[in-house]
Amino acid sequence: MGNGGSHYDVLVVGGGIAGMESALTLGDMGYTVLLVEKEPSIGGKMVLLSKVFPTLDCASCISTPKMAATANHPGVNALTHTEIDEIIKRDGGDFLVRLHRKPTFVDPVACTGCGQCETACTVALPDQFHYEMVARRAAYIPYPQAVPKKALIERHGSSPCSFACPAGVKAHGIVSLVRCGKYAEAFHLHMEDAPLPGCLSRACYAPCEAECTRGQLEGPVPIRLIKRFMVDRYYQEHPEPEYGPPEKRRGETVAVVGSGPGGLTAAFFLAREGYGVTVFEAASEAGGVLRLGIPSYRLPKDVLDRDIKNVTALGVEIRTNSRVRSINELKEQGFDAVLLAGGAMDPGRMGAPGEELEGVVDCLTFLREVNLGRQIDLDGKTVMVVGGGNAAIDPARAALRLGARKVLIQYRRSRAEMPAHDWEVEAARAEGVEFQFLKAPQRFLGIDGRVVATESLSMRLGEPDSSGRRRPIPVDGSKQTIPVDLVVLSIGLRPGTTPFAPELELEKNGRVHVNSATLQTSIPWVFAAGDAVSGPSSIVDAIGQARRAAFSLDRYLNGEVLGEAGFDERLPVVDKQAVLARSPSLAVRSPREKRELAAEGRARSFAEIEAPLAETEVRYCASRCLDCGGCSECRECVRACPANAISLNMHPEEEVLSVGSVIVATGFKLFDAHLKPTYGYGRYPNVITAMQMDRLLSPTRPYHHLVRPSDGKVPDNIAFVLCTGSRDYKVGNRLCSTVCCMYSTKQAQLIMGALPLADVTIYYIDIRAFGKGYEEFFEQAKAMGVNYVKGRVAKIDQVDGGSLMLHYEDTTERGGANQAEHDLVVLSIGILPNADALKLFEGEALAADPFGYVREPNESIDPGRTSIDGVFVAGTASAARDIPDSILHSGAASVQAAGYVESMRNGR
Amino acid sequence: MTDRRIGVYVCSCGGNISDYVDVARVRDVVEHEPGVAAARTHMFTCSDASQQEIIEDIRNESLDGLVVASCSPKLHLFTFRAMADRAGLNRYQYVQVNLREQCSWAHRDDTALATEKAIRLVRAGIAKARLTEPLATMRIETTPKVLVIGAGVAGLRAALALSELGLSVFIVERSSDVGGWTRRWGKMFPHQQQGSDIVAALSARVRHRENITLFTNAEVVEKSGSVGKFTLQIRVDGFHTIPLVVGAIIVATGFDVYRPSPGEFGYGQDGVMTLAEFKELVDRSPEDLSRGGRGIKDIVYIYCVGSRQSGGGDDAHSYCSRYCCATAVHTAICAREVSCGLGPAKDCIGFHQFHLFRDMRTYGKHEIPYEDACRKGCVFMKYGDDDPPKVDRVDGRLRVRVNDQYLGGEEVEIDADLVVLVTGMVPRENAALVDVLKLPVGVDGFFNEIHPKLRPVETVVDGELIAGTAQGPKTLPESVASGLSAAAKAAALLKKGYVDLEPFIAEVDTSRCVWCGECLDACPYGAVEKTSVQGKEVARILPSLCKGAGACIPVCPENAIEIAGYTDAQVEVMIDALVREVVVEEVAVPVT
Repeated sequence: MGNGGSHYDVLVVGGGIAGMESALTLGDMGYTVLLVEKEPSIGGKMVLLSKVFPTLDCASCISTPKMAATANHPGVNALTHTEIDEIIKRDGGDFLVRLHRKPTFVDPVACTGCGQCETACTVALPDQFHYEMVARRAAYIPYPQAVPKKALIERHGSSPCSFACPAGVKAHGIVSLVRCGKYAEAFHLHMEDAPLPGCLSRACYAPCEAECTRGQLEGPVPIRLIKRFMVDRYYQEHPEPEYGPPEKRRGETVAVVGSGPGGLTAAFFLAREGYGVTVFEAASEAGGVLRLGIPSYRLPKDVLDRDIKNVTALGVEIRTNSRVRSINELKEQGFDAVLLAGGAMDPGRMGAPGEELEGVVDCLTFLREVNLGRQIDLDGKTVMVVGGGNAAIDPARAALRLGARKVLIQYRRSRAEMPAHDWEVEAARAEGVEFQFLKAPQRFLGIDGRVVATESLSMRLGEPDSSGRRRPIPVDGSKQTIPVDLVVLSIGLRPGTTPFAPELELEKNGRVHVNSATLQTSIPWVFAAGDAVSGPSSIVDAIGQARRAAFSLDRYLNGEVLGEAGFDERLPVVDKQAVLARSPSLAVRSPREKRELAAEGRARSFAEIEAPLAETEVRYCASRCLDCGGCSECRECVRACPANAISLNMHPEEEVLSVGSVIVATGFKLFDAHLKPTYGYGRYPNVITAMQMDRLLSPTRPYHHLVRPSDGKVPDNIAFVLCTGSRDYKVGNRLCSTVCCMYSTKQAQLIMGALPLADVTIYYIDIRAFGKGYEEFFEQAKAMGVNYVKGRVAKIDQVDGGSLMLHYEDTTERGGANQAEHDLVVLSIGILPNADALKLFEGEALAADPFGYVREPNESIDPGRTSIDGVFVAGTASAARDIPDSILHSGAASVQAAGYVESMRNGR
Repeated sequence: MTDRRIGVYVCSCGGNISDYVDVARVRDVVEHEPGVAAARTHMFTCSDASQQEIIEDIRNESLDGLVVASCSPKLHLFTFRAMADRAGLNRYQYVQVNLREQCSWAHRDDTALATEKAIRLVRAGIAKARLTEPLATMRIETTPKVLVIGAGVAGLRAALALSELGLSVFIVERSSDVGGWTRRWGKMFPHQQQGSDIVAALSARVRHRENITLFTNAEVVEKSGSVGKFTLQIRVDGFHTIPLVVGAIIVATGFDVYRPSPGEFGYGQDGVMTLAEFKELVDRSPEDLSRGGRGIKDIVYIYCVGSRQSGGGDDAHSYCSRYCCATAVHTAICAREVSCGLGPAKDCIGFHQFHLFRDMRTYGKHEIPYEDACRKGCVFMKYGDDDPPKVDRVDGRLRVRVNDQYLGGEEVEIDADLVVLVTGMVPRENAALVDVLKLPVGVDGFFNEIHPKLRPVETVVDGELIAGTAQGPKTLPESVASGLSAAAKAAALLKKGYVDLEPFIAEVDTSRCVWCGECLDACPYGAVEKTSVQGKEVARILPSLCKGAGACIPVCPENAIEIAGYTDAQVEVMIDALVREVVVEEVAVPVT
């Protein structure tokens, strides 16, 4: 007995027909059986077949009772969607098993299998149970007869776009909702993570787009513009928020210092929790950098106003013209906690002579004047901006709009070191801003206290400094005097935290010292976020941090332990290459051209530059999404589920247990027809695999008729190409797959039944109708008119209209190299060993035969016994087998496993 | 009217039913049927949540009858019976109505009529439920012993497996020795073991088991009883009879090799032999193949002798014998080894083997020896299904003529030292045993399984299992796997110690019965016997043998037999309910 975990007599790995048969047989004998299946349903591949040869029984009709019996057998515990991590044989002869139940993200007890999540789901993914002929949703029930018939959600990980967002905005979810026309839902989803969608849809630097996997193909999905459309549509329809203060009220109050992106975000999340929140803003209007720093040609002020309503609608009070000078004072006023989000608004100084002259201003002061609508006339004037960050670009472009004749940016390093975003630089350049790199003013010259010129030196780059950037070194004798009317200094901003220095621990650069995980400051009831903590960064970073600080603050007021747990529940990001690899035949979908006001005209106006996308464009752009993570986390299923069963925070559950014996029934892999390129699978739509044909013929088929994929035509001339991937050195499989001759003959008979006028030709090497009743079945097919041609198909070409030309050699007396045209070609793909079986065991390895199947060292006397004493193999894990032989083999494995368990009990 | 309290649950089957049948309307109409105490619809009645709701209904509403209108009972009959058990309702007071296969899927073109039909079907189910009575399964104690008939590899291996599970085994072998055909053979494919070694190993293990008793020169001559307790008479050495009581029987009587009729492909002439005979020749030849002092250099194999003869005469076998292709190829490799050693083709000059075949059925891993034979100089020629080779004797040598399809049908003449007829397997002559065991035999003469796909070792007679080549041609490992599989099924029957039989069996109303014997003749299971009740000769049903087939019911001139769970009264009310108009009923629904 093992490690406190439960004990079963026998572990059966794999819930296909061999696994089910083994489990049921052992269960009937009275042994306890654990059956582990990695797929979400037991049943394996058999249940997906149309009918079975030679009886022509409906495969699902004879499988489902076995599935139901397995699920309901009192002696059998069937775990689906579960992977074995390792099996270790122990000295006593029993086995230690480590496994984990993969999260389905749906509580199986609550789920009734009603399928409403499927209907609501906004992501379509290839349906693996229809062998990818059609799509299904990311939230899905595997197939109608699945056991258990429970929904699950396909999640490969976080989509790169969503994972890239510092604020945790679910970009993928927004795109997938917009794609479905669910604009309001997309807005609400955004509000779950960040309350300023309008601002972000204009002024975010969109790290999501930089990570978009489509960016590795034709160009990224324009997520920010999609969002902008969605926000504009929503704000147009809802000038006021649809909600008021939350019903849940808490006694505690929180003071938030600063009404920039960080402060507004923190206020929003705290107010939603029911706290009384007051925001203190030093300026005359709320919005912080959004209001004062970003010019309206990038962020129209009405959009900001509407965003702020999202916060104030919750009952948040914003006190403008209220500079906070002491934190303790807030405490005295009765606030239970404080959140500092004052931003970095104190200008840096160069320390250069003449900096105090009139006409030398810092960028924030300049922009504040501009943004608050003060009259500034720069008509015909020359303006120099000093700096290389984004904060240098905005004043330069604003100066143009105020009539400046010449606007010049001087940056002391080269273009490559410039921290400003490329597109900002390019836009400024297009509008006429002049850039001078490796130059910086050393002195400002003035007349009557007013600046008239700068004295600049050229620079060269030396060794990297502490920031990792190469240090600029003045070049002697390069002095140059430039006449200017206005100088704007954009050389770094500091948090305005100086007044708090006596109360709060600060870093040397004025930033608030915090615990980086919890954002708690040196005062337990004070938290901080945004540029006050991290120095000048971005809006979306400030929002993300504020959300984290609010989360910690809430936990603090709840008396809970602070930490990261529970804040970030995102799955690891998916591998983009894996995303591209799983869709081998993606359609090319070009991005839409970006549309902006023309550079010449726009540079004289504060009107918004960027043009919105039209609805049709937005839908098109959203449809380019590759659904990298599978589920987009749009949460529509959560809303739709009547049983409240969906839980996107489910984690793998590990389990350790012991078993007396093991039966490996891991089945086979199908040959991947792509590996036979001369047959054109994946390139020619009307070349399908036999497994796909079986789906087309099954009762739960993807289409209501037997049609060919390219044009929906009912085919009247169908070919089967036997030995695709079998008896073929070129693909590395010398073996015969045992079943293809017969399943092809079965499908031919079914096609003759469904399409009585169709011609069916089977190209073969040998027809291997060897089992009981098979030869008779083969004769029956011939009598029905199925045309058997002995000869291997060499090559398939597509001809006009999507039909296919088969090149083959008829090796019978008809003779010769021939061609034949068919409407639809079915590749009778073979069976390959499933290497998973060999990876199950740690320690003593499970031996394989030369072909990679589980080896049976003494097959003639003990079929089903493997190289490890106590481990048995059932079905196609050890050789290609048809269903009756798999059943017989399962019986052999079960009775020997039972014998092993008995011998252990008797202390052999 | 009725004092029954019946719950009716109409399933949408996630749209499978509700896309075509208005399930809410079905419920609205049937909830006014007499006796209905609860009526609901469910998206999936089979889901755990719905079952839980029904269980609560059964308890809270004190239901004594249950109708679930969903899919085929094949799918969920046992699901809902188990649910009834859990709720404390007798499982046989549950009636399943099939609205999916029998209604929604069949009538996708007319939803209005599909709904009407659904109403009628559910009403019939309710009508039947009103007349249900609690029934009890019959529990039969089983005897933890198994009889294995036939001591070939399948039988021996099955016996060993059962013995290891603590079940006693009797093996009855007709001949004087164990091992069947395998004992006679040398090297066998696919693992190059000697057949005799395999048998020796198996019989040594059998001898060590105290709970295995082997009877040789023995036959089963009488059988009575049924699953769990068969009583048998074994005749040993032709005269003394031993009674045995066992819980299950495994029939592993093996096969015979096909014996060509005289003249068939020259059979009977010197130098023409069956594959089995040739194999013994190869096995016996330590070096150099020879016969009668003459070396054998040219061998022709003719495949499918006695197999795949669909248009043939009375004795023809239309089936494929499965093992012959691989055996012939393997034997050819062995023959070459004897003649030339293991070296390359140049060491084997002057030794020729020609294989005249139809389809080379070396399935699965048998493909490898076939490839090997091709590499080692075997020449394969394909003859047409209707154009077999001809064997003659010319100038004292055997001459084979074949139209080789690989050469465009050109005739090829081969002078041969030896012609090997690749003969298949035929069923053993077993008429007496078949008669005793009442086992069904297929058109091919092999024993018939109950389902060729999923239940290949079970038969229509519960507790009688078939294994190995008695069921059909097999290779050695396949035969052994089949034997083990039969052992597994026998153990599944017996390890528990009891079997529960369904209570749907016939009952005789002795007041009506006049013993005409019609039912005795009609019963395919021998479940009827004559008895007397208060001096009156009447029929009696043996519960453990009756399968509830109902064959006796229509033949009874006195209407004296009923089947529990399917009484005449139940069937009649169902018919009445089915024909009742739906529209009229709708009007009659009281508006309250």
